[in-house]
Amino acid sequence: MNDEIKADKILDLKDLPCPIPVVKISKGIKEVQIGQVVEAHTTDPGSLTDFPAWARITGNEILKTEKGDKVFKFYIRRVK
Amino acid sequence: MDQNIRNDLLKLFRENLSRAMKLYLETCSRCGLCVQACHVHASMPQLRYIAAYRAEIIRKIYQKYFKAQGSFFPRLSEAKELNDDALQELYEVAFSCTGCRRCMVYCPHGIDTEMLMSMAKLLLVGARREPEMLSLLADTSIEKGKSLALFKKDFLTGIKSLESRVIEKWKCPAGQAPIPVDVQGADILYVPLSGARSIIPAAAIFNAAGRNWTLSFFEAVNFGAFLGDPARTRLILERIIDEARRLKVKKVVACECGTAFRVMKQLSGKQPFEVVSIVQEMARYLREGLIRVNRSRCNGPITYHDPCQIARNGGVIDEPREILRHLAQDFREMSPDPAYNWCCGGGGGLVAMGEDTLDFRMKSARVKVDQILATGAKIVVTACENCHTQLSDLNDHYKMGVEIRLLSSMVADALVGPEETASTNPEKQTLRETTRIPA
Repeated sequence: MNDEIKADKILDLKDLPCPIPVVKISKGIKEVQIGQVVEAHTTDPGSLTDFPAWARITGNEILKTEKGDKVFKFYIRRVK
Repeated sequence: MDQNIRNDLLKLFRENLSRAMKLYLETCSRCGLCVQACHVHASMPQLRYIAAYRAEIIRKIYQKYFKAQGSFFPRLSEAKELNDDALQELYEVAFSCTGCRRCMVYCPHGIDTEMLMSMAKLLLVGARREPEMLSLLADTSIEKGKSLALFKKDFLTGIKSLESRVIEKWKCPAGQAPIPVDVQGADILYVPLSGARSIIPAAAIFNAAGRNWTLSFFEAVNFGAFLGDPARTRLILERIIDEARRLKVKKVVACECGTAFRVMKQLSGKQPFEVVSIVQEMARYLREGLIRVNRSRCNGPITYHDPCQIARNGGVIDEPREILRHLAQDFREMSPDPAYNWCCGGGGGLVAMGEDTLDFRMKSARVKVDQILATGAKIVVTACENCHTQLSDLNDHYKMGVEIRLLSSMVADALVGPEETASTNPEKQTLRETTRIPA
């Protein structure tokens, strides 16, 4: 399943202070074309609620979330 | 600017013009005592960074539209038209002010420049000219409140992943959740930030103190307050108030975040729970012997940076020092003292605006760097995530060679059980004064 999503940009947002992961994903998503995918890696548990809420506000689409032991991976398609 | 927009903004101005604001707008005598009070002006001496100058733009608009002399003889009173240029000026003064209120301490009239900047920010929100990133962060927080049911399961998964790291710091009795969530009737609702580092140390400390606590689903920081939007500030705050009331907790403990603490403490209104900072809570645990720490784990000279919203604007000044007397073998107070402490330069939403503000933040906080270096400390402790980020950026930028720590992390790392050697008598600890820096 993981192989089916090809990321056009990877963002390392691990161990960043609040609210920088949301700040950086907001900027990072604008650096890809509409329809392309950003893969974001985070370590903050808050990102599991922050990112879906951010996606609803900005109209972008979270294609998949992988919840590892320490790292969370988000595959986000730029829609707008 | 469209006349309808101007009318709407003036209506906003009129409706939010408090008696205190009017007093501040009419009493500035331009004595100049605030000139050196602002860390931005002290680091980058420019007219636009003087507190009285920041307020002057609001004052001129007030003269133009709310005073007869300004309406009829605008040149005599230096009245200013509210137009696009004025909004740009308001943006520049409001978002180069961190709201630290150091200028207020120096002003002989006690003029609260931050309050006047709140009017500037309100007009920017009304004109939809507020910083886009702060607006997005505030809306994201509000969305989390609306859609909690959708996100709850994932949040619990994330919290579960932290449990082993809490246990590494303090072992819980069998059967006790290291990070309890959604506990009805808990004594304490702890409101963290999104990051693991505001959850793990606090959880270990609450568990070590044997507290009946529960973790909030929401992050403490209030981006609506940074934005200067009262409506969004309220919506973000109400998520936490509603949760505290639903769980029937006795106390809401704000994490190490200055704005979070100040907003919760000062804007929650009369509630069936009290609001305290985790700094106050940790100091009480140490004072009452609920937790014990081993000071031999903290080596090297240590100083403490008072977050403006917790100390000068929140009144929590003695408690961090009480904690550090238990932790530090060589504590060095900064000079000037806490009431006159220099802001780190990251407040007012500047850190949350990310790299866009980095250059300004570094240049405008030169006096903070000098103040820290004068102590000779190798560890700089603070109790605000925002300050921690800014101080870490300053540390990198100016190659200060210090370590930046959060107070809760220092306490959690030094926790010991009753069988181990705990802190020595803090009364024997002496505080070393460093060379005073002229204010």
